[in-house]
Amino acid sequence: MHLVIISGAARPQPRSNTARIIAAFRQGYEEKGNSAEVWYLSDRRQWQDAKTAFEKNEQILFALPLYVENIPGIMLEFLEQLQPKTIPGTHIAFLLQGGFPEASQSRCCEEYLETLPAQLGCEYAGTLIKGDMFGVSLMGEKTGAKMVAPFAEMGRYFAENGYFDKEKVSSFAAPEYMSDKQIRNFRRFGPVQKLFMNRIAKKLGCKERLDAKPYGTAL
Amino acid sequence: MRLQIVNTLPESDPRAQKAIRTLQGKALECRIVSAYDKKISPCIGCNACWLRTPGICSVKDDYEEILKGYLTYDATVFLAGTALQFVNHRMKNLIDRMLPLATMYIHIPDDQCRHVMRYDRRLQLGLLYAGEADRNYLNQWMDRVMLNFDGVNLGAYPITQAEEVLSCIL
Repeated sequence: MHLVIISGAARPQPRSNTARIIAAFRQGYEEKGNSAEVWYLSDRRQWQDAKTAFEKNEQILFALPLYVENIPGIMLEFLEQLQPKTIPGTHIAFLLQGGFPEASQSRCCEEYLETLPAQLGCEYAGTLIKGDMFGVSLMGEKTGAKMVAPFAEMGRYFAENGYFDKEKVSSFAAPEYMSDKQIRNFRRFGPVQKLFMNRIAKKLGCKERLDAKPYGTAL
Repeated sequence: MRLQIVNTLPESDPRAQKAIRTLQGKALECRIVSAYDKKISPCIGCNACWLRTPGICSVKDDYEEILKGYLTYDATVFLAGTALQFVNHRMKNLIDRMLPLATMYIHIPDDQCRHVMRYDRRLQLGLLYAGEADRNYLNQWMDRVMLNFDGVNLGAYPITQAEEVLSCIL
């Protein structure tokens, strides 16, 4: 089966967490003779080809980062330009990754994604959710690769089934909420986390406090 | 009450004009930003506003005055078009670009992770939409947005009900 993957991430491909996740997913998907093509909406020169691929194919996967509780504006702009299909048979699935660890953070977006395919004349084929992905590009090559590796298994699963089953997705997306113990640990190690983020920022050339108030300390 | 109105519809849209007149009549002071003709790009997800230049967006366009307005006005009301039963991309871009108001730091004030906000000022945002959309979902989405920005959702209403959006703060 041939799959069209469209990345709705706004960050350019070389630095995109979504792109790395897509690469792992695609590897698993293509293992047993399936094929896939990938288009990146961060590069507007690819939009026309992505539209054509959407029109001509029946298996579509949109991969996207959670952006303020829903799909990124750039992906919404692309979707607005698609003509709804008039011939039935196209399935759209979604791969939704977020920065926070809890799957519950993505449920509001998922609820909207469930309604989208029908508006485009297509059928819904499920949403794969995974949180805690913020560090994929920041944690170094080795750790980043480890973080995205589980997506290869989900690529194999999608190749076999053609959709994301809700139960399977919930298991992959866990935790829905952090446990009390996890929350206690998170709070205990809060200062260490801050130090870690400060160190990353310094490495990136940041010269200010991360909680700086450039528009006024009185606000 | 000092109110920022961000109009993402064309200035000549009679629905927007009527809503703006209604809002002006209810606020002590109004600033109207006609965002339709301004250059407001999508967020590019570079994380500079969190990790390189904290609080400052790396995209240099017309958005910064709106961002400052969230902090210097008591409330902001958006006038937005719709698409695919949701707000359209112009409106979504405005919300996506709010990230500099949050810091990279994370805390758990209730049962979920949230970003620690950069400023103490509590945001109050409302939405008036023109076109077809799922109002219940828009309210749910705005609730979530405000939950993660530690603000108050003034509600999502059809643009013909402009007076409703300020009813809970006047």
